[in-house]
Amino acid sequence: MRLDAVGRRYGRRGPWVLRGVDLRVPAGGLVRVEGANGGGKSTLLRLLAGIDLPSAGRVTDRPARTAYVPERFPAALPLTALGYLTHLGRVHGLRGAEARRRAERWLERFGAGESARTPLDELSKGGSQKVAVAQALLAEPELLVLDEAWTGLDARARAELDAAVGERLAAGGAVVFVDHDPRRLADVPRAAYRVGGGRVAAGPAGGGPAVVVEAVGEPGSPVPGGLPGAPLHEELPGGGCRLTVSAAHSDALLRALLDARPGWHIRGVHPVAYPPDGDPAP
Amino acid sequence: MTALVRYQLALLARSHRWLPPLLVYAAALAVGVQPGQAVLDSLGVAAAAVLPVAAWLVRVCTGVEPPAARACLAAAGGPARAHLASLAAAFAAACALGAAGVAVVVLISDAHGSDRAADTAVPVAAATGAGLLATLTCALLGTAVGALCNRPLLRSRAWAVPATLAGAGAVLVAAGSPANAAVTGLVTGSRAAEVPLPLLPLTGAALAAAATAALAAALSARR
Repeated sequence: MRLDAVGRRYGRRGPWVLRGVDLRVPAGGLVRVEGANGGGKSTLLRLLAGIDLPSAGRVTDRPARTAYVPERFPAALPLTALGYLTHLGRVHGLRGAEARRRAERWLERFGAGESARTPLDELSKGGSQKVAVAQALLAEPELLVLDEAWTGLDARARAELDAAVGERLAAGGAVVFVDHDPRRLADVPRAAYRVGGGRVAAGPAGGGPAVVVEAVGEPGSPVPGGLPGAPLHEELPGGGCRLTVSAAHSDALLRALLDARPGWHIRGVHPVAYPPDGDPAP
Repeated sequence: MTALVRYQLALLARSHRWLPPLLVYAAALAVGVQPGQAVLDSLGVAAAAVLPVAAWLVRVCTGVEPPAARACLAAAGGPARAHLASLAAAFAAACALGAAGVAVVVLISDAHGSDRAADTAVPVAAATGAGLLATLTCALLGTAVGALCNRPLLRSRAWAVPATLAGAGAVLVAAGSPANAAVTGLVTGSRAAEVPLPLLPLTGAALAAAATAALAAALSARR
């Protein structure tokens, strides 16, 4: 699945929330999306899940079976947990009996088997979140989009969700996720994208070491485009910038910065573990 | 699509939010239809009453889900199809209500034209058919008004509710509107004791409903 020059704004004259997004989600791949709150992460995930259509650009090759888990699922719906999940399973193309069987299995797996017959509006916050996760997983989706889906789950259910993500990946499904915990799924190889200022930049692929480069250019000169390894880029107060790139690309990045005209002055190079909890500062 | 409509109907039925529209429809019949009145006149009243009720049901069905649940559903079934399903559920509920209204009217009304001096027997089966077609016409147009006056086209309640009322009223009284043509056809038919066959209004209403539903569905993921 890929996004080409995708933009999104709400209303015809609203400000762009995202612009010029190029992004690829490979089948069987894990993609982490990060960035500051209110920066457009959720908007990007909604575009990926097909909930919203882009205002500009194209989304191509989205898998047919897509599922989405929101951060909060206050589902004040007049259905029981099992009834809701069976309906959603049918929407995903399952037959009623199969949808019901899978719904029971997933609720059981997340330790919510006893709340199958509970009306959704009587569930606790954690219980609702388990239903939200179950509605996505019971479809065995080819694309699973998790917007801080771990929030509100207890420790056992969080571990279960980690395992379920691994199972989806092993089955060839793609998983895109946002989570505030930098250690979430840190041991699984993944691509990363950083959302900020309406743009989406490819970050260093995860699961390995990274390098932070602090560099200063001529006043007013922007960071050169197309840098090796597509580093995460942060402006530093008082001039200069901080670039985070996977260790494999650090030499090439340094060479590109030194060779740039006008040239860049390298102020520091530090190894970090990736992802560095959103702030790579040593 | 069946699964989506089934889900929306389950939400509507179990939320009991169909009850206020049902009561308003029943009240409209109680006021506008008396036992022993000419059947076609009463069918005209019953059909006209379905229009605002259908628009109201669309408001109920498009607003019954919290945004988080709507997002999950849109990812699973597609946002446009999910929105169409909520319109279809409202339309189906309006049709059920309207059919029940037609049945009640036919049972309690007098199978004659409104001019009692002449010999003006009206065939009950044909009158029932005409009443059902007019009801269907009004249900379609009410769904169209509802589709235009709710999410995603009008999102503020301050606009949506008055716009729905004004829209439903306008569609009922405007000359050239299929609903107006269908209802007027029944009333004038009653005077002449001739049962109309409102196929032209039905076609117009179906086109209007299809166009507005398509517009609303297309916008549901864009706004």
